[in-house]
Amino acid sequence: MMTLEKFLVISAALFCCGLYTVMTRRNGVAVLMGVELILNSANINFVAFSHFLSRVMGGQIFAVFVIVLAAAEAAVALAIFLRLFATTGTVEVDTADQLRG
Amino acid sequence: MVSGILDGLWLVPALPLLGVVLNGILALFVERPLLLPAAGPPSAAAGHGHGASYRTLVAFIAPGVVGAAFVVALLCVLSLAAAPPEGRIFVQVLFPWIQAGAFTAPVAFQLDPLSSVMALVVTGVGFLIHVYSVGYMSHERAFARYFVYLNLFMFAMLILVLADNYLLMFVGWEGVGLCSYLLIGFWYEKQSAADAGKKAFVVNRVGDFGFLLAMFLIFWTFGSVSYTEVFAKAPLLSGDGTLTTGLATAITLLMFLGAAGKSAQIPLYVWLPDAMEGPTPVSALIHAATMVTAGVYMIARSSALFLLAPDTMMVVAVIGAATAIFSATIGICQTDIKRVLAYSTVSQLGYMFLACGVGAFTAGIFHLTTHAFFKALLFLGSGSVIHALSGEQDMRKMGGLKKRVPVTFLTMFAATLAIAGIPGFSGFFSKDEILWKSFSSSMGSPVLWVVAAAAAGITAFYMFRLVFLTFFGTSRMDPEVEKHVHESPWTMTLPLSILAVLSVIGGFLGIPAVLGGAFGVPNLFEGWLEPVFRRAAPAAAHAAEEAAHHSAALEIGLMALSVGIALFGIGLAYFLYRARTEKPDEIARKWPTVYGVVFHKYYIDEFYEWAVVRRVVRGADWLWQMFDARFIDGIVDGAADIVRSAGDRIRRLQGGIVGGYAFSLLAGAVLLVGYILYRSIVQ
Amino acid sequence: MSLGNLASVGYFLPELTVTATILLLILMHVVTKSPRSNAFGFLSLVGVGAAILLSGIVPAGAGKSIFEGMAAYDGFAVFFKVLTALATLVVIFMTMDSREMDGRSQAEYYIFLLSTLLGMFLLSSATDIVMLYLSLELVSIPSYLLAGYFKGRERSTEAAMKYVVFGATASGVMIYGFSFLFGLTGTTQIAEIGRSLAAGKATLPMLLASVMVAVGFGYKIAAVPFHMWSPDVYEGAPTPATAFFSVGPKAAGFAVLVRFYYTVFAAPDPGSALWRLTSAVDWPLLFAALSAVTMTVGNLVAVKQDNVKRLLAYSSIAHAGYMLMGFVLLSPAGLKAILFYLVVYLFMNLGAFYVVILVSNATNGGEDISDFAGLGSRAPFAAVSLAVFLFALTGIPPFSGFIGKVYLFAEVINRGVYWLVVVAGLNSVVALYYYARIVRSMFLDEPTDTAAIAVPGVPRAMLLLMVAPTLILGVYWEPVARIASDSIRMIAF
Repeated sequence: MMTLEKFLVISAALFCCGLYTVMTRRNGVAVLMGVELILNSANINFVAFSHFLSRVMGGQIFAVFVIVLAAAEAAVALAIFLRLFATTGTVEVDTADQLRG
Repeated sequence: MVSGILDGLWLVPALPLLGVVLNGILALFVERPLLLPAAGPPSAAAGHGHGASYRTLVAFIAPGVVGAAFVVALLCVLSLAAAPPEGRIFVQVLFPWIQAGAFTAPVAFQLDPLSSVMALVVTGVGFLIHVYSVGYMSHERAFARYFVYLNLFMFAMLILVLADNYLLMFVGWEGVGLCSYLLIGFWYEKQSAADAGKKAFVVNRVGDFGFLLAMFLIFWTFGSVSYTEVFAKAPLLSGDGTLTTGLATAITLLMFLGAAGKSAQIPLYVWLPDAMEGPTPVSALIHAATMVTAGVYMIARSSALFLLAPDTMMVVAVIGAATAIFSATIGICQTDIKRVLAYSTVSQLGYMFLACGVGAFTAGIFHLTTHAFFKALLFLGSGSVIHALSGEQDMRKMGGLKKRVPVTFLTMFAATLAIAGIPGFSGFFSKDEILWKSFSSSMGSPVLWVVAAAAAGITAFYMFRLVFLTFFGTSRMDPEVEKHVHESPWTMTLPLSILAVLSVIGGFLGIPAVLGGAFGVPNLFEGWLEPVFRRAAPAAAHAAEEAAHHSAALEIGLMALSVGIALFGIGLAYFLYRARTEKPDEIARKWPTVYGVVFHKYYIDEFYEWAVVRRVVRGADWLWQMFDARFIDGIVDGAADIVRSAGDRIRRLQGGIVGGYAFSLLAGAVLLVGYILYRSIVQ
Repeated sequence: MSLGNLASVGYFLPELTVTATILLLILMHVVTKSPRSNAFGFLSLVGVGAAILLSGIVPAGAGKSIFEGMAAYDGFAVFFKVLTALATLVVIFMTMDSREMDGRSQAEYYIFLLSTLLGMFLLSSATDIVMLYLSLELVSIPSYLLAGYFKGRERSTEAAMKYVVFGATASGVMIYGFSFLFGLTGTTQIAEIGRSLAAGKATLPMLLASVMVAVGFGYKIAAVPFHMWSPDVYEGAPTPATAFFSVGPKAAGFAVLVRFYYTVFAAPDPGSALWRLTSAVDWPLLFAALSAVTMTVGNLVAVKQDNVKRLLAYSSIAHAGYMLMGFVLLSPAGLKAILFYLVVYLFMNLGAFYVVILVSNATNGGEDISDFAGLGSRAPFAAVSLAVFLFALTGIPPFSGFIGKVYLFAEVINRGVYWLVVVAGLNSVVALYYYARIVRSMFLDEPTDTAAIAVPGVPRAMLLLMVAPTLILGVYWEPVARIASDSIRMIAF
């Protein structure tokens, strides 16, 4: 029996994995994957809440919007990482540290 | 209450402001690029080349807006005059300005007989001087900048005189001070000009401090800074004991400190002679006709308060008389034509304060008006002379100019007759009024009369000395200079002529009753201003009028005596500077000490340097050593070190690596979440 | 009652204008052969100008809920639309005057700029969390691109990379919070969420969710500790874009922060307690701490900066801290103070950046304080203007910044949060130190190059247009203060 709680636990785990990835991974593309995990953890919540509690479509629709925006964000972010690769020859985020202090 | 054309009152200050904006745009966007070194060789291009068209525009805008303001002011005053004497007060509230608790101050203008006289003088004389400036400054590179300042001055001065409360007056007061500073230092490349500007600024701050304190006291006492409320409440509060004589004295003395700074009275007069470093039309407008009279206006405006403080009145009268004679004596020995006029201005302002101090506010304002005419004329005339002599200001290098610059000579001569108090000329009527009131008023005294009459004699002497040295005798000019002597263009001579006419006939506005009464000619000026001062303090003013009732014969006798003294001064000047021209040097040799002291202006500047400036510097130095360097700096440096090292540490957190940034975000979120969990557990 | 989609269009004219302008720009970019032309700038100017006019003349009223409750049309939204559009307008002028942009394609730049503006319009009127999230991303995504606009420049790319990673993470946390808000209340309408809270459904997860939402807003207004991205992005981005970030998106961030918390958490009758549920969370304390930390960190680190752009970045963090003071009590007077301060801040901050651009133009891209040495004699007008802006930023009378601070301080004093006032006062002293450093350099230090810097007509006029309100609002602020308080009152529920 799938209960709401199980979905929430999964999403929370996913959220933490995402945050952990963003903070620890050096490769830019992996960082982006972490961001995707965070967004998808929210999506699971939306869909689960929508299904179990309110019986309204709002959550599902919200999830669709999040997916669309995540795609847009990823496109822009990947373009920026490509540019980073072109100028520095790497996509390791911690090599870019000219700006600090 | 009257209205109609009066609703346009706000235009009077607004028009010069429009001039500031328009000329400011021209100055910033057309003139300034021309003045930059990058724009090529100076003056040639900026002066008469492709930049000339904007100068024509400026030359129309600047006097135009002031002229228009004059016309509006005149229409307003005419419409005000149509009302019955008691109804001649019009207040136009433009918008609320500051509302903080009980403290409210609107931006509002008040037109009553007193402010209308001031507004007309300021805009009328101001307009003439603007026209004159067009000619006088025609070779100036920063032409538009000059007129921006000049228009800005007109705006501030009109705010000052038209304000309906002390706070707005203070805004104008500071505004004119700022413009004065800017214009004295207009040629800021010249060290002496920059210094003079600074000196004027610092001395005026001393006075302004007094004004500011007075304003706080007024608000504290009356709960308002509006003229109408303050003056209406003054008798009531003094009746019920809230406004004690001591408090009134404190308020008025502080105001007088402000007035003394602005109007160059002892002991704060030292900035005015130095202010002559500015362009001559500025000296005429700001340092003779308008701004320096602001102190007189303020005291006349506050007559209701001053009359409650007899001690202050006495101080005002004594300082006024002392300033009148003191600076007149300095004028005797000056050789710079503008400095003679500067000391003369200080002296004449002394007369106005003397008048206020004996309760004769009408006479003070009357003298202010006639003085505006003839002193502006004298300054403009001296400017015309200086212009003709390619910048020479030393009277020892002039002489024999009568035929070379006839218009300048004739007009200046008329002004000299006026200031000397020759019957029939404007100065006679106003000065004699003051002399008579200082003798006859219940607050006056024969001593004041003697001092003032003596000062009048000295005035006649040094003014004729100036005329004789400049226009008569043989030429002592440099040959090089002499070749270029020329009469000024019409833009300069026309204002001179108009002012000359006013200097001659202006006095007939206020013919004293003892002369005019017999022919049924009323004293128009007194009749016009009377409601203001009667409204201000009905009982006190009346007492001043009635208390000393002297015979007409005495008044006419004293009048004749003072004219005699003036004639004696003129005769002496003729004797020393026309008939026996070797005499002055002889006298100087015979009494070197006296001459030296007077020539060096009684060493007042040196005294201030020694007593105030150096003391302050030394005291400040000591304080700095003891207190600042050791104590405060210790704390400040310590604090600054803490700030710097804290800044440095926090700065290192910004390590430049994005993973760390994400961590800070998470840390922040965890902190917030932790706080909420903590709260929910505690509950 | 919320209006349907068709009926709402009349209230959507500014947004439609900006959208049309963006489409025109794209079209022009496709057909034209010269993407470097200034024509893109002029077209954007016309579009934004028209949007400002339309914001002013669309039918007013007590406030309407439009697009089936997705957005609000009210005084508050109009206020922020005009404010952000004005900022954009100035930034377009800046861009055209900046030499940094010479020889680069202009088209995309303006497209991104106007897209951000559209996002800010929507953000300031969003009343539904779906709309709120969408518009927040619409502000963010073009901003990433603006920050990284200089393709060849390493710093610009680095700035964009940091911006996108940080921004995406922050908005991810926020959306996770939103998902709980939705789950616990069953609605996406902000007002509905507020009603459920009032009905006593406040549970621990709900408060946690609200805090996670605050992370997203905190990122947008660059409040400490969510500020890390901003100094790096400000330094690396093109200077006009930096000026834009420091005013536009920050203002929009405040708009959404105020609207969200005011709608959800403000007590229905503002009596003694202005926040709902202070028993569960001491909101005033929380935000007072946020405000104090933000201004202190901003000011302290600014002291150590030599790069003027980076210095202004930290200064703008500090200013966000000052503005949060008005938010602490969620009272109308405090919110009015924020709105008023934003107006003042718009002029003084953009003005300061304008001078930075002029100096950078003249010194071959110089951005250090030493590049400002002797500016007083090299370009007196620009130097005096910058001094005015800096003194205003410090909050010295008689400049507008002083009045802005008076309003912010007054409300906090009125409600007795004295310690915050002390902290803010100390901060102002620290601020004076680093602002005065620039002024000192301009007027006292000897320049290495003494040649006069010519300031052309347009920037001269723009500077004048920003100096004027900075001075005027310092002595006569009544009308703007009134507009600010009216805009608070008109907020729609």
